[in-house]
This record gives sequence, structure tokens and C-alpha cells, in this order.
Amino acid sequence: MVFIHDKGVLTGSMTSPGSQGGGAVSTRGGAAAKRMKWALELSLGNSRNRGDRQSKEGDVMYPVGYSDKPVQDTSVQEADRNLVEKRCWDVALGPLKQIPMNLFIMYMSGNTISIFPIMMVCMMAWRPIQALMSMSATFKLLESSSQQWLQGLVYLVGNLLGSALAIYKCQSMGLLPTHSSDWLAFIEPPQRMEIMGGGMIM
Amino acid sequence: MACLAVRLAISLSLLFTASAVFEDQVGKFDWRQQFIGKVRFALFDTHSQASKKLLVATDKNVFASLNSRTGDLLWRHLDKTGPDGHVDSLLMYGQDAVVVVGNGRLLRSWETAVGGLKWETVLDTGSFQAAALVGVQDFVKYVAVLKKTAISLHDLSSGGQIWVENLPDSDTVQYQSIYSEGNGLVFVLGLVPNSHVVIVEYKIEDGEIMNKKSIRAAWMSSLESSCAVISSGILLCVDQITQSLYTLPLQSVEQNEMKQIHLQTLDLEVASGFQPVLTSTQPNPAQPPLAEFFLQLSPDHHILLQLEDGLIALLRDFNPSNLVTFATTGEKTVAAVMSPKNETACSINLFSADTGRRHLDTTIIYHLDPNGGKPNMLYVHAFLKKDDSVAYRVMVQTEDHMLTFLQQPGRVVWMREEALADVVTMEMVDLPLTGTQAELEGEFGKKADGLFSMVIKRLSSQIILLQTWLGHLWKLFYDARKPRSSVKNDEITIENLSRDEFNLQKMMVMVTASGKLFGIDSKSGTILWRHYLENIQPNSAFKLMVQRTTAHFPHPPQCTLLIKDKDTGLASLHVFNPIFGKKSHSSVPALPRPILQTILLPIIDQDYAKVLLIIDDQYKVTAFPSTKNILQQLQDTASSIFFYLVDSSQGKLSGFRLRKDLSTELIWEAVIPTEVQKIVAVKGKRANEHVHSQGRVMGDRSVLYKYLNPNLLAVVTESTDTHQERSFVGIFLIDGVTGRIVHEAVQRKAKGPVHFVHSENWVVYVYWNSKFRRNEFSVLELFEGAELYNSTVFSSLDRPRPPQVLQQSYIFPAGITTLEATLTEKGITSRHLLVGLPSGSILSLPKLFLDPRRPEMVSEQTREENLIPYAPEMPIRTEWFINYNQTVSRVRGIHTAPSGLESTCLVVAYGLDIYQTRVFPSKQFDVLKDDYDYVLISSVLFGLFFATMISKRLAEVKLLNRAWR
Repeated sequence: MVFIHDKGVLTGSMTSPGSQGGGAVSTRGGAAAKRMKWALELSLGNSRNRGDRQSKEGDVMYPVGYSDKPVQDTSVQEADRNLVEKRCWDVALGPLKQIPMNLFIMYMSGNTISIFPIMMVCMMAWRPIQALMSMSATFKLLESSSQQWLQGLVYLVGNLLGSALAIYKCQSMGLLPTHSSDWLAFIEPPQRMEIMGGGMIM
Repeated sequence: MACLAVRLAISLSLLFTASAVFEDQVGKFDWRQQFIGKVRFALFDTHSQASKKLLVATDKNVFASLNSRTGDLLWRHLDKTGPDGHVDSLLMYGQDAVVVVGNGRLLRSWETAVGGLKWETVLDTGSFQAAALVGVQDFVKYVAVLKKTAISLHDLSSGGQIWVENLPDSDTVQYQSIYSEGNGLVFVLGLVPNSHVVIVEYKIEDGEIMNKKSIRAAWMSSLESSCAVISSGILLCVDQITQSLYTLPLQSVEQNEMKQIHLQTLDLEVASGFQPVLTSTQPNPAQPPLAEFFLQLSPDHHILLQLEDGLIALLRDFNPSNLVTFATTGEKTVAAVMSPKNETACSINLFSADTGRRHLDTTIIYHLDPNGGKPNMLYVHAFLKKDDSVAYRVMVQTEDHMLTFLQQPGRVVWMREEALADVVTMEMVDLPLTGTQAELEGEFGKKADGLFSMVIKRLSSQIILLQTWLGHLWKLFYDARKPRSSVKNDEITIENLSRDEFNLQKMMVMVTASGKLFGIDSKSGTILWRHYLENIQPNSAFKLMVQRTTAHFPHPPQCTLLIKDKDTGLASLHVFNPIFGKKSHSSVPALPRPILQTILLPIIDQDYAKVLLIIDDQYKVTAFPSTKNILQQLQDTASSIFFYLVDSSQGKLSGFRLRKDLSTELIWEAVIPTEVQKIVAVKGKRANEHVHSQGRVMGDRSVLYKYLNPNLLAVVTESTDTHQERSFVGIFLIDGVTGRIVHEAVQRKAKGPVHFVHSENWVVYVYWNSKFRRNEFSVLELFEGAELYNSTVFSSLDRPRPPQVLQQSYIFPAGITTLEATLTEKGITSRHLLVGLPSGSILSLPKLFLDPRRPEMVSEQTREENLIPYAPEMPIRTEWFINYNQTVSRVRGIHTAPSGLESTCLVVAYGLDIYQTRVFPSKQFDVLKDDYDYVLISSVLFGLFFATMISKRLAEVKLLNRAWR
């Protein structure tokens, strides 16, 4: 919080509004004494600047054990590459790992058409599609890996399997227009070739 | 458990089909009009001066009471149809009306005030001849009924039979009338044609024959038509050949000859070929009749004569005069005479009966309706005014069965169109568009010709709309300034008729058996036009066709009525505009030969009129209209025009094809032997029927395609053997083009009358099962199978595979008088069957219940298909009665027509009454409900809107505040 003293000097900030109010009241009570106290605590800084910034920017004081020079890293190089590899495989296998979970959800949600199963199916279908659309971003992620192409393929296959599963779910829920009955409404009545009339002799 | 599931399924399915009107919807879109038929007897209740009752008995076996001030029905009793309920005679004395019903089968007495039955007596068998009230000493106590062989006397207050006597020599003598004058004797007059008159005197107390005599009268062939009893028991007869009157005192013992009085002595002459008619009056049955009588010499010449001391004096000569009648009030008897005034009006005047002098200020002018018939009956209600002068009201009946009630000095109090009690056929025609609507329609109807001109057109039509709207506003403003009384009500007249938004209001064109045509507004039931066709034979056949609808704006709509005289077979065409009822000036083809049938082709001429083909008895075809354009079109399409004829008397069905020269060739013939069965009815499909779905979706989501053959005919036959064990009903489904029998079904131990509906891919028929004594419904449904043979065109000539036929039958726990199916614009809405019941109710039965695929065992798939499990008994639920308590007596037909709303079907049921309503087979899915809460919805909307505005403002303020912190 920033506030202006009655004498027009910007002093500083406080975190707690209670203390701020108190501070404000006290400054009004004895402005000179307060300023002196502030000045004393943040000794070397400009009274117009913020106290905490001063402590950061003023690189005079370092904490205990701080070293300016970077320490040379020699031993963890190999393990790091393994880690990257592992991480990349995690990314690549992610979609495949979701499949059992999806299967379970599918089984649980049943084939009735109501709001929750529909939401599930939408989510299941949308996620692989989204992943496939952002394929390039994933490839960038996998760039550092040596088995980049294999991982990419696995990722792709996993997502395709996921969307196939979603389609299968749609199919089993009857949402796909695969039956002749789904196209019944579009059949035009056949044209009549003969004109016929008549009746009982009047 | 399974049973429970079945019940649950049924009740669930009922939930979707239940439809009934709510209490506040009564009369909102339905109306009923009640009729009585052609009046045969009409009597005014003269019992008290203030009485408003008019008792009528009609040819429809209806006995009713009308309010003579308004013409409304006070009460109405319907007897059996046919000769069993025929009203033979209507007599009234005081508060009692005595009716003889069913050729002398029953004698009934009715209380006229409320229409309650006082007593009923079953009479002995024998054909009815006459009935008369018999008085003793100024009081009417008995009623005498004369039959062919016997006379019986009944007590008027209880109906108990006092005595019954056989008539002497009843095998040779035709007894025809009864006469009594309150002197303790009843005279029965009989006749041996062209030989002698027989007079038998009975004593009232015990029926003893007091006297019997026969008088020679070789010239007489009928007693009823040529004789009357006048003036203290003198039989007066008239003979056309000898041009003379004959008198005979009934009671005299010595006179054995009839006294002849030549009409020449009175300077009178009967028109040649006219049977003169005598009209006498007996105001009180306990008193002798008056000595004055009318003699009709020619159709428009009546004479008032008086018999005094055996001499006949001429009181007044009415020439010309159409109708005459006597009326009595108190002690005064008057004669009312209707005489033609000019071409369009008749005047009715009162004359004193005993002097023949005219009563002053008693003229009533009756204006003849140019679209009506001539008057043929006059019923006069005379009453005494305070100054003891005679005033009267008169009811005029015309040839077209219309009743007009007139008051002095010629004000029409009410009218009843009784021709509407016998509607033969009807059509519903769309109302025309208003000028502005037509303008807009015209814009869309024309072909697109460039962007710029279309914009101009659109703008101009919008300007016209604006103009009419401003005009409407100006009119409203102008009307508001006028005093309220001078502003006319928004009555529906022919001038302001226009189609409503959803095309729910239509013109009902009704053709009645009397030959009178009516145009009735379907919304209110107001008769907008009427047209009487003269010289229609009583047993004519009518066929009404709409040749041009209102859709072709500058051209007026056109209906054609074919009237065929069944005796000669000759037919005539009446072409008219169904909106205004005016006869069209189009040239009607001459039809010199007897006509067999007509076909309305979908071919239209340059004036958008459909072509009517008329087939004569030599199978030659006449086209109407027959312009060059039409003949050219007919030549081009002749090879695809087929027609069929069904001759019920020979049991022959034959199919013809049109040749280019408008002759025909026989292409198939089927004979159903008349010794075994008789063709009762044939029905094709309705031409204006649309089928939206080409198939049915199965539980496994495959499609069962419907067999939608537009040329399919349903032929119903009944066996000639009516024995209960051997009778049967047959149904044949025949292709009308090729004559191929697609399917035949026989219901054994079944009897007619068969009612059936043929629509889409199904036929529903009802018959009487004589084994189980119940009515049964049977439904036939035809399917092509899982594949369509040819999905683009349908040709009967190329159908290698027969359809699959499914059939199921159900028990219907009520009788049926007529059957029809609902019809909607696009055929998306589910179908209902409208069943007319003998009780006068109309049942709307979902077709869902008449589905041959209803399973006996419920399975997953059938549940998926929403099939109701089979139950033999068809339910009748009271909310399915579309006419709630507005029963339609003797329903003869139901007409259904689509409206502009897909959910709504217009229904007209006609019989003795007419009832119009709308039905919503799948509920009103395309309009908001009547009880839709507009206030709540709009207040919620506005509330939400303002809440959003306010909260938006509040949020802004809060954000600003936060920014300042």
C-alpha cells in the first residue's frame, strides 16, 4: 500500500492494513520521530526508496555461505540424460496410460444417453484430438531425446487409440450415423409414375 | 412381475398420447349445431298466450320443441332411424302431444313443457292409417287410432286402451280417416276405389257399431286426397273429371246418394291435370268443424267457400295465391293466405274465415331468397291482441327445408337451415389471402429476375405493407372518435374473410341431399353463403371436387359438383367459387350420356385448374376444362393415366388405360362372384395425404421400409350368406393399375357393416364378429422389407416383389358408425383414428394401438421401438372423446383436413348435427400452450435484464474502488 504523508513525502509500504492505520495515526501524531526511526533502521538507503528493494538491490550484503563463482558440475551428466529420456518417455506413454482409465470410465458410464455419459464421451474424444493438434509442441518437448521419433510415434499411436476408443464409445452409445435408420429422414418420397383414379360406379 | 412391466409400459405409452380439452378450452375452437331435419308436422302451443313453444316432428324421426322467439331447440327426442321410428302423426291437446310412431307401432304422449314422456302404449300390429283426438261433451278425453284392419280408442291421460274393434270387410274396404265431433260417436270412413264409400259409426263408450252404410261413388279413387269433413259432419268431396263437389251428411239415415254440385254453377273451373285439394279446419276436436273451407283449383289459385244449408257460397277468390292455411285463436278462426307480390317477395295476409274479409294491418312481406327454394308450407300462430284483434306470427317452410319465422310487419325473427341435417359430402377450402399477403406471396412465387429488380420488388411490397398498416391505424383512430354504438362489430362477412396466420380457419363447403350448398366459416359456424340447386332428384349422387385452390391468386378458387340422377344416370356439373358460392361462368361440357365415374387429375391447365375426366357408359372420356393446352398435355401423358371402375351389382372390377384420342382400353378385369360375396366398398388413398417417413425404425436401428403404393385399392366384400356360421368379410388389396391382387384376407364368422380407413401403408377395418358377438378392429400393414426396391420412382408396372403383410385384430368394446383418420400438412405428426360411436361421441384412437407389430412378449428391441405389448382389448379412455359432452347425433361422416400447423388437424363430424373441432394427435408441439405464462416469463426476463445492468454497474464501481487502493 502506498500513501502520502501530510507533508507530501512518499515513505514506504506496510503489509497489514491494521498496522498501516496505526502507522498513519502515529505518523500524524509525531511525524518527525517516526521518520527518524525509519531512517535508522534502513540505514544506508535513500529514504525515498522502498526498504525491501534496497535490501535486494544493494548487493553489499550477502547471506552466509554465498559464493559468487559457479561450482563446476562433473558427476551428474549421464544421470541427467537418463532423466530427460525418462521424462520424454513419460510424455510419450501418457496417452497410452490413460486408456485403461478411460476404459474403466466408459464401462462405468454405461450406454444410456444422458448428460454425464455425453460429457465423458466429449472429454474422451476432445483430449486426444487436442493432443494431436498440438503435436508440434510435443515434438519440441521431445527434441532433447535421442529416441525422439519412436517416442513421437508412440505418442501418436496412444492418442489415436484414445480417439478410437472415444469413437467406439460413441458407436456403442448409438451416436454415430452408421445405420440406415439414421438416414431415413433424408429419403424423398418416390415419384409417382402412373396417375390413377376411379371408384364405384356412381 | 412381467404383468406389472406390461402395465407400466401401457401407462407410460398412454402418457404420451393422452389428449383432452381443458374446461376453459370448451367452445374455444369447437362448435356444434343441432338440427332436426325436414319438418313434417309443426304445431304451435296455443295452450297459453305467453307460450313460446313450437312442436315439430320431422322426416329424420325427430320430435322436438323449438323456442318460437329464438328458433333454438328447447328439447329434442330422436327415435330409431328408418321406418321403425317414423312419426306417423302428431296431435296436440293442451299440454300433451300425442305421437304415433313407427307405422302405428307405438302411441306416445309427451309433456310439452319439458319434453318428458307421459306414457307409451304398444299398439296392435297393422299398418297405420289415421289418428284423431276424440272429444266428449266439449272435453277431449280420448285418442282414436285407425289401422288397416282395426280401430282402437285410448285414454288421453293414461294411454290405457278403452276398446279395440275389428273393422268390417277390411279385406276389401280401405279405411282411411276418422272423424268425430264430440257427440259420442266416432265415424270411420273407408273406400272401395271406384265403387263406393263405407261409413261406420262406433259408439265411444264400448266400441259398438251403431250404423254402417255404403254409398255409391264410382268416381272416387282416394278418400284422403279428395275429401274433407266440414260443418257438423258433412263429407265433402271434389272430383276433377266431373268438375263437381259432392256432399253427404254422415249421420243421415235416409240419404243414400251423394249430392252433386257442379263447379260451373259457382263459375269455377279446376285447372286441367290438377288434382283439386280441399282444406278444412276443426279448431276443437270436441266441436264440429267450420263450414268454411278452401278449394285449391290450380297450384296458385285458392278459393274460400262456405257450405250453408246444403248450398255452397263463394266467400273470396284468391288468385294468385301460393299457400293457404287456417289458424284459430280463442273463438276466432282466420285464414292466412300467401300470395306473390313481385319477383322477389310474397305477401301474407289474414282474412276472417267466416266472412272472407281482410283483416287490416296484417300484411307480412316475405322476401324470397334468390339462393333458396320456393315456400311450400305455411304454419301460422295466431293470437289475440289486447284490443281483441287478431295478430299472428308465421313460419314459412321452403323447398330447401329452410324454416323462416316472421313477425309483423315482415321482420325475420329467426331462420333454421334444416337442409344441413342431411349433409352428403363436404370439402374444406383454404380462405383467400388478403391483397397485401397475396402481394408478398407473389414476390416469392415469381422466378428470380436479377438482384436489382428483386430489391425493388421487396421494397415496393414493404411500402405497401406500411401503407396498409398506416391505413389500419388511421381507421382505428377514426373509429375511436365515433360513438361506440355506431361502430360495427367485427362480424365475419364474406368481404373480410381472409386466411389467418396458421390457416386454421377454412371454408367448409357442404352439399346436402336437398340440393342446397352451403359455405360455412369453420371458426364460428356462420353460414356465409348458400345456394339452392333446383330440380335435384331425391336419390341423386353427389361428388364434390376442388379443381383450383386459393393458392393461385389472381384466379378465383373453383369447385365442381357432379350431380348424378340415379334413375336416368345422366349427370350435370355445377361449377362454383367455394368462397363466395357464386356460379362460375366457365363453359361446362354437355354430358349427353349416363356417367359412370370422374377422376381429378393432377395435371393443371394454364389457369391452374386441375383437369376433371368424366367417364360415360361407353367408357369415353370427357375432359373439363378442355382447352387445347389440356388436350395436348393429356395426349402426352395418356399412357400413364389409368382408372378403375367397380361394378358392385356384377361383382366386376375393371382397369382401363387412357388412349391418346381420349378413348380407353380395358387392361385388366377381376370378377368377384356375386353368388358368394358382394363388393361393399372400395377406397384408394386420399390424394392430399403426405407421408413423411418412408420406413419404420426397428429396435436394432435397421429400417423396415413401408410399402407406399399410391395406386393401391382396398376392396371390402361381404358374403351373401348371412348365416352366423358361414358369413364372412373379405378384404382385397388390389393394385389399381395392374389389377394384381397384392393381398387378400378373410374374416370368418364376421358380418358387416364394415367401416374402414385406407392410408399410408395400412388399412384398418371394423366388422362384427358374429361368433363372439362383438365388434373387432383389424389392421393390415404392408412393408417392403429391409431394402427399398426403387427409392426414386414408384411404378406399379415394375414391382417384382410382393410386400410383407402384417395383421393383428383387437376387440373394440363399442359399436361404430363411422371411421376416419387424422390428416396433417406434412404427415410428421402421428396418426389418430377418429371413431364415431352410436352414442354420439367421437373417439380419437391413437394408431399406436392399432399396430400389427405389437409384440406378445416384451423384449429389449420392442421396448426400444416403443411398441405397446399386445392386448386383445382396445381401451377406451374418456379423455379421448374429442367432443366431450357435445354429442353429435347420428354421425354419418367425419371429414378431416390439414391446417397450416403441422400439429393440428381440423375435424368436422356431420350427421343430424354438425360438430367442428381441432385435434392435436401429438399434442401442440409447434405452438405455445394456451396457458403459457407470458407475464411470468417476461417479468423474469426483464428482472434478469435489470439485475444484470445493476450488477454490472456495481461491479464497475467496485473495480474502481479497488484500483484506488
